[in-house]
Amino acid sequence: MSLPPLNDWVALLIVIPLVAGLLSLVVINSRFWSRAIGVTSILLTLGLALGLLLHLTANDGAVLVSEMGDWKAPFGIALIYDSLSGILVTAAMATALAAYLHSFSSLDPGVERRYFHPLFQFLLVGVNLSFVTGDLFNLFVGYEVMLMASYALLTIGSGKAQLRQAYKYVLLNVLAGTILLMSAGMTYGMFGTLNMADLARIIAEIEADPTRELPAGFTALSVMLLLVFAVKGAFFPLWFWLPDTYYTLPIAIGGLFGGLLTKVGVYTIVRLFPGVFASDGAGGSSDVIAVVLAVTAGVTMFLGVLGAVSQHRVRKILAVHVISQVGYMAAGIAVAVWVDRGAVLGGQVTGRTIAAFAIGGCVFHMVHNIIVKCALFLCCGLMEKHAGTDDLDKLGGLLKRDVFLAVLFFIAAMSLVGFPPLSGFGGKIVIIQAGWSNLWVLSVLGLLTGALTLLSMLKIWSYGFWNPDQAPVARQPSHVKATNRSAYLGVALLVAIALFLGFGSEAVYEIAFNAGDQIADRTAYIEAVLGPEGIANLDGPATVEPSATTQPAEVLP
Amino acid sequence: MTLVISVCVAVIFGTSIYLMLSKELKSVAMGVFLLGHAANLCILAQSGSPLIVGDDGMVESIKRPPILGQGEPEAAPLDLLVDPLPQALILTAIVISFGVMAFLLTLLVKTARSQGTLDLDELAVNPNEDDGPASVPVQSEDDENRTTHGPQPDRGNDPEKGEPA
Repeated sequence: MSLPPLNDWVALLIVIPLVAGLLSLVVINSRFWSRAIGVTSILLTLGLALGLLLHLTANDGAVLVSEMGDWKAPFGIALIYDSLSGILVTAAMATALAAYLHSFSSLDPGVERRYFHPLFQFLLVGVNLSFVTGDLFNLFVGYEVMLMASYALLTIGSGKAQLRQAYKYVLLNVLAGTILLMSAGMTYGMFGTLNMADLARIIAEIEADPTRELPAGFTALSVMLLLVFAVKGAFFPLWFWLPDTYYTLPIAIGGLFGGLLTKVGVYTIVRLFPGVFASDGAGGSSDVIAVVLAVTAGVTMFLGVLGAVSQHRVRKILAVHVISQVGYMAAGIAVAVWVDRGAVLGGQVTGRTIAAFAIGGCVFHMVHNIIVKCALFLCCGLMEKHAGTDDLDKLGGLLKRDVFLAVLFFIAAMSLVGFPPLSGFGGKIVIIQAGWSNLWVLSVLGLLTGALTLLSMLKIWSYGFWNPDQAPVARQPSHVKATNRSAYLGVALLVAIALFLGFGSEAVYEIAFNAGDQIADRTAYIEAVLGPEGIANLDGPATVEPSATTQPAEVLP
Repeated sequence: MTLVISVCVAVIFGTSIYLMLSKELKSVAMGVFLLGHAANLCILAQSGSPLIVGDDGMVESIKRPPILGQGEPEAAPLDLLVDPLPQALILTAIVISFGVMAFLLTLLVKTARSQGTLDLDELAVNPNEDDGPASVPVQSEDDENRTTHGPQPDRGNDPEKGEPA
């Protein structure tokens, strides 16, 4: 018996958590077996994701395509594992592992018994499916799986504040999901396909052929899609649901949400927009999308960080901060859409277009932010264990009580701020550099935001760790340390990864820039999914009539 | 035909948004239910007109169901068939919206039981609301506190630790 070919292993990224979720429903009454199944599933998925990612790097950015049921690509659903998906799935699984370990000691047993374990796995199913799917409608399904799990995770425990916020979150996401569904339908109506590679091919062919133009309503469709993912990614002005919601969650769940869920929205924009739904062909939408993205990116990052500085509770500071960091990623995408497709950065960086450079920075920043944001949330959980509260006025003296936690928090906080050589620096410098010659306003705002980020992190540091004790000591430090070993392990794991992202940034840059190249020039991606005939007409109309092979919409009206 | 469906979509969507903006959570739930229908009709409209129009601009017949091998004319049979894919999409979407609806109704029941009201205003100004996170983890040490929420810094004060400076 031989193993299946490597590309078909991609499906296991979804199957493993799904099976684990179902299994942990069976053993729901046994805490030990629930946890054992959960950890095994996450470890297996993480190992698989990492292994496939290393395979991609070794093969110079190959693209693994797994066709479900062997239906050929534009007709069946394809799962696609390229550098972009790969690095994000790997980061997501590492974060999930840490948050899961943290939950062992931080989660209320009542909440844990109420189906926390299966829901956690189903959330991972949705996240992984959204990351690897190559089909727009399947993306909707992945989103819905992820959202259903997140609705349920949001409401288990159901404190009053939690219930009230749940409605806001659920309704907004239902609305966004419905618009995504309608947009997917309209995309099919316009282009006769839902496969992302096929879409990219059709739109690239229209761009290359001066006699054709994009269908009427294309810009409206693009804006509808952008709206959906902006809600998901908490862009300005659609971010109001985020701070209140994340604030009320149990901290292990809040850490996972804060690290992962917004990044899924950003990922989708990266996957679908540059060169596809932000097309600069005749009748294209890139002008509108570029302006919208640039404005929203600037406002998101700057107002987000101002909001964070003004808060006085650790959880709120961190939750509002999620928004600010999303702004950086939006800035990277905005630059990529704004500049000419072929424009090359001057100076020492050669052989790579600005668009690819900016997307690479965006991907790096996403990975960094998934890890570090979750680490900070989990640190906050431990601070609450010590002090019994997250109110900065009542915190204090944590440096004396728990040096290890202080060191972990300091590294994570400084990574978020982006002190070189820590991990936040790597992504920000690329985004700022890419924007410098075209969208310098964004770059300046990015630098200002960085300074204010430092301020907000120092606020937590000086009130929480440096201050003398403000209130009677709520917990005996040795007791907290003894009962929360797995929580410390989770935070330490994330901080170690953050350090690796900073000091081993060469390896991460390679993958991130590879992803950037593949997004800025989708030829390799299209060829991997559709085969060599998929890219035959990408450089303009061939000598033979192109219509015979390129218009499925005419065959199936 | 497409125009009729478009108008229906617009009306249903508008009604649903109106309901979702209401303060009564039952109306909100109805709004969510209608929203799914608007989306499904919208996708249905993407399969194009079901009518076959002849050269003289007159309607000849309606399209056939998308089942091949039922005696369709040899020439360009696909033009005479309804596009089945949007219907497959709708089927999936209906199932998902059922799931969302079931969840929302469960949440409604839970809210009504625990809060005694389904009015968003009353939920918001509940006098004994807690301002803190729902589960600041004080519970792991004092099991009797499991049902309470919010920070309780005075709990677990240990004499061994001594007084603060």
